[in-house]
Amino acid sequence: MSKWKNKLGWLGTMSLVVLVVGCGGSAPAPEPEPEPEPQMEQPTVDEEAERLAREEAERRRREEEEKRRAEAERQRVLTVLAERVHFDFDKSDIRADAEEVLQRKVTALREFPGLEIRIEGNCDERGSNEYNLALGQRRAEAVRRYLMSYGLEAGRFATISYGEERPLDRGTNEEAWALNRRADFTVTSSGGL
Amino acid sequence: MKMKRNRFPAIAGALTAALILTAAPPLAYAQERDSIPNDVRVGIVYQPSFRPGIAFPTIEAPEELREMADSVRRIILRDFDYSDRLEPMGAGADVRQDGPVNYPLWDELGAVWLLIGVIEGTADAPVLRLSLHDVVFRLLQDVRAFELPPLRHPDVRLAVHQASDLVMEWATGSSGVAATRIAYVAPGPGGSEIFMVDSDGFRPQRLTSDSSIALSPAWSPDGDRVAYMSYQDGEPAIYQLDVLQRTTQVMIDLPGMDMTPTFSPDGTLLGFAATIEGRTEIYTYDLVRDCCAQRATFARFANSLSPSFAPDSRRLAFNSDRLGQLHIFTKDTENGNAELLTPYIYDRSVHNAGPDWSPMGDRIAFHGWVAGVPEIFTVAPNGRGLRQLTQVGRNEDPSWAPDGRHIVFHSTRGGTAGLWVLDVVTGRIRKLVGGFDVRLPDWSGRLDSPSRSIEEAAADPNSNNP
Repeated sequence: MSKWKNKLGWLGTMSLVVLVVGCGGSAPAPEPEPEPEPQMEQPTVDEEAERLAREEAERRRREEEEKRRAEAERQRVLTVLAERVHFDFDKSDIRADAEEVLQRKVTALREFPGLEIRIEGNCDERGSNEYNLALGQRRAEAVRRYLMSYGLEAGRFATISYGEERPLDRGTNEEAWALNRRADFTVTSSGGL
Repeated sequence: MKMKRNRFPAIAGALTAALILTAAPPLAYAQERDSIPNDVRVGIVYQPSFRPGIAFPTIEAPEELREMADSVRRIILRDFDYSDRLEPMGAGADVRQDGPVNYPLWDELGAVWLLIGVIEGTADAPVLRLSLHDVVFRLLQDVRAFELPPLRHPDVRLAVHQASDLVMEWATGSSGVAATRIAYVAPGPGGSEIFMVDSDGFRPQRLTSDSSIALSPAWSPDGDRVAYMSYQDGEPAIYQLDVLQRTTQVMIDLPGMDMTPTFSPDGTLLGFAATIEGRTEIYTYDLVRDCCAQRATFARFANSLSPSFAPDSRRLAFNSDRLGQLHIFTKDTENGNAELLTPYIYDRSVHNAGPDWSPMGDRIAFHGWVAGVPEIFTVAPNGRGLRQLTQVGRNEDPSWAPDGRHIVFHSTRGGTAGLWVLDVVTGRIRKLVGGFDVRLPDWSGRLDSPSRSIEEAAADPNSNNP
């Protein structure tokens, strides 16, 4: 019985998530219709207790579901925000693949106007240590400008450059370098999420 | 690439010059070298320029100061060797010094100079007396007594370096650079910290403990302070470290990133780079009035950084990508246009960075890419006489010694990365500090006060000395 119930609960969550995603992820879960007052005549005490217990269980289930849905949504937004963008060597132009990533961020940032992020520019090891600080800054700034060009407020973005000081891969090869030429994103204010 | 094409003529020229050298005195060689009509000279050709031999017999000392005397002699002999200007001689170490100096004997041994040392006084207050004799002209050149700290005192080495620098001045007319230090960046718990080491590779010491990312150390002209960039408060700012007290304070904290500090040689200005509207420009800060960050570069849509002052503090060399390639420029500190220093090469990935103006004013060192690998170059401030000094491994971030002939830089040569010191005149090279992530060195000016060091580094002083 409890196994079945769990399964149902999971299915319910899934369907809600599907519903939410289907609506572009913006629609809040519909308020459950208030249960119509039961018009049964002279319910026995047992029946009444059972009904209350059922309602209570139902309420808890919905709350749980709501919480799970919100958490899933939160995770989804955080994942979208954390997604890195990469750059070409010695360049700060936004690549086509980066544009896709940034578009998802635009949507998420529009959905949650309280969100603020820090954009962290990083470089591979090849340029001079000091020049890479400037290059990383340029990359962070390019991302910020891209996001602002979609009408997002400038005040929601901070930028910083770590130059070549924080590589993801310490290797000395094309693959490592490509991975390290990137912008990272950190949520500085998760207002409303 | 232009530089590559010129490699063979340059080597041929150098070989010709080397052949001439065997038949002609060094002066003639110097003239020949300068007349080689290539705009880029590749590589250091080892020039066995004449290094006058200096004999330094065992220092006379009472028994309780014997260890001190031997230690002092070792330090001074190493200083002579690292100066690349005198040749310390092994011969005659045990020649007795009672009675008048036997000039014919020293002459026969090949010495041009003879340094006689005596240590007197007590273990707590030793006095080193040095007398330099000109063996060729058979006369006493100079003599001086130096009060030294006791043997185990952390300032001993610096005090002895100062003595050997003075002997160098007696012998050659210009002071040595043994009493100097090199500040640099090495890995630390939060990324990197600032360190310093004596010019002979002894006594490496950590200066900061910010547990953050610290970069770009720069000595103040008096050697009392080191300015550096740090992320310790999240946003990168420029801090000032008192080398004696080991205290730090914020120096520059404009909105955005502040980086690549450098003191003007007259000590009145701090040059640095700061972000403005997403790009980087160079500013100067008035250290006398302690105010007024003033912008020195104006290049929209480009970055300018890594300033280095000329000896008169009135001009700056710096790094900029305003032409789409990374180049070295010079300009007047206050006004005037930036002038391109390094050759623009169409359609190449040019990456010239990290300029450092020689304290002598005659050359600017920097690193530039040769087929994607950074190498050390020098060039005259008017853009002429470009010379490539390194060819092995990656070589980056040169910094001049106060003598304008030694350069410290980061290198991966020989499979063992670290900081290396190159004598530009002879091409001799030595390792200063080992370590893969040891970088961004800055060579101090001459340090005169012996009271600036605090604690002996815990590590074996020899550990980093090759």
